[in-house]
Amino acid sequence: MKSSLRYMGVLTVGVAVLAGGCKTDSDEMGESLIIEELDGDHALMERFEDRVRVTDVSFDPVGFRYDSYQIDGGEVGKLNRVADYLRGNGDVSLVVEGHSDERGSREYNMSLGEHRALAVRAYLIGLGVDSARIQTRSYGEEKPVDMGHNEAAWTNNRRGEFALYR
Amino acid sequence: MHLELNSRGRFAAGAVALAMGLAACMHAADVEIVKAGSIKTALSLKGMRADSQAASKTFRKVLEADLVRSGWFEIAVGGASVDVSGFCQGSGDRLTGQCRVVNNIAGKTLLSEQLRGQVANPRQLAHRTADAIVKAVKGVPGIASTQIVMVGARVGRQDLYLCDADGARLRRATHDGAVCLSPSWGKGVLEILYTSFHNGYPDAYRIDLGGGRRIRLAAYPGLNTGAVLSPDGRRIAMTLSKDGNPDLYVKDLRSGVLSRITRTAYAAEASPSWSPDGRQLVFVSDRAGRPQLYVQALYGKTAKRLTYEGRENAAPDWAADGRIAYSSRRGGTYEICIYDPVARRHTQLTRGDGDWEDPSWAPDSRHIVCTRTSGYRSHLYILDVMGDPPLRLTSSEGDWYSPDWSSQ
Repeated sequence: MKSSLRYMGVLTVGVAVLAGGCKTDSDEMGESLIIEELDGDHALMERFEDRVRVTDVSFDPVGFRYDSYQIDGGEVGKLNRVADYLRGNGDVSLVVEGHSDERGSREYNMSLGEHRALAVRAYLIGLGVDSARIQTRSYGEEKPVDMGHNEAAWTNNRRGEFALYR
Repeated sequence: MHLELNSRGRFAAGAVALAMGLAACMHAADVEIVKAGSIKTALSLKGMRADSQAASKTFRKVLEADLVRSGWFEIAVGGASVDVSGFCQGSGDRLTGQCRVVNNIAGKTLLSEQLRGQVANPRQLAHRTADAIVKAVKGVPGIASTQIVMVGARVGRQDLYLCDADGARLRRATHDGAVCLSPSWGKGVLEILYTSFHNGYPDAYRIDLGGGRRIRLAAYPGLNTGAVLSPDGRRIAMTLSKDGNPDLYVKDLRSGVLSRITRTAYAAEASPSWSPDGRQLVFVSDRAGRPQLYVQALYGKTAKRLTYEGRENAAPDWAADGRIAYSSRRGGTYEICIYDPVARRHTQLTRGDGDWEDPSWAPDSRHIVCTRTSGYRSHLYILDVMGDPPLRLTSSEGDWYSPDWSSQ
């Protein structure tokens, strides 16, 4: 519930000019129209991001083929290493982050990235990691690691990353 | 008489002369003339006067631009079939527009109305007047008073922005600088639904513009995206992955009950859009291996596949008149296509020169706002399904994408 409390109440001051004003192009273009943040009517689960990020160990991202969420045989070794680490460090939790390349619909790419993250999660659970220790987060095409616009960049950007928390 | 319009909106000179000749022979209520693009009604604004105030002059200028942008009119100097007369004057902080619309052929007054607005906001009064004229002459809703919400990426920061249908009054709605996506209008022009990462995860939010509030709609484990309000305003469709896989869900706002619509363990769904009667959803699914469009009744068990042409089809938007716009990968580029459920025919609206994606219908079921990406830069464009050429909407620096056109 920590994160839900953190965002309660007034965040930004200053109301934007809702009507009129005829503000033209500037860097600011008015203040935020949002002056108050409210929680919805449902409980929020605890998210690992509120814990401390583990930085002394990192794992290579898992790659994917275009439009695919399936884990290729060549990527299995990477997942085995992550599973070994998690089994040996029972206090560490994992957020699998799914990404797509820039091509196609942004909204579909969010679903594809999530599907990839969930495929990685399911694989790790299959290797014996407790499902309660693994959450997923998709960034779709929004966080490319390679800013290029070619096959090599797209291959680098279709990936599942591992963010560890303690 | 039937004139075939080609989708690029270009007519040969002979076709223009033919159309004018045929129109002159008809005993129609309109004299229609054809320039580049769609058939237009000749309208004169000669009798529409403005006093010397700056606001009145803005009103007059914006009104004329709105009538042209509506797509239905050609501003004529003489020989118009529709005369718009009246005046615009300011008094204190009040701005008044008196407007009379006469069909010269039938000798009939179509509209005689006085609209009141504010000197501080002459554009709004002009937009309302333009919409009243479109409604009176063509019997269809105008789009001048509508708004467009979009994602803007400027100096590496993403936020939601709003603008009027003519691109004016571009303004920022959020100030988070966090990844945000797929905004859609909720009730009228007072609410926006969208997904934002400002809390670290892709959660769905509703922004109440009137009260300046942002309310969290869905923050389930995993994905909370694509939230769209049903036409009756009582339900929200969205994509959630809380049950282990991205599937479509519908939340009843009154009872809070969440219903799962799709159950595809080995496929991802995305981008729901409501049918005009609120009984069906069109959406994207990759259950056949690649993203394609499907339609499913809200309480139905099976989905019907809609698209077979094109390697990928995505981002569907269902118009008020029943047609569905979407983006389709054709060859090497993404193009805007339209599916007509009556004729059961798909037509391609754009032809290369960049990637065209994310279509959203205007309430006139004639215009579409979409993203055009060329040279890795994105801007919004207005398309006309009746043949007028594409019009660029955004001019400010930055990337502009994922637009949604308000329904009123």
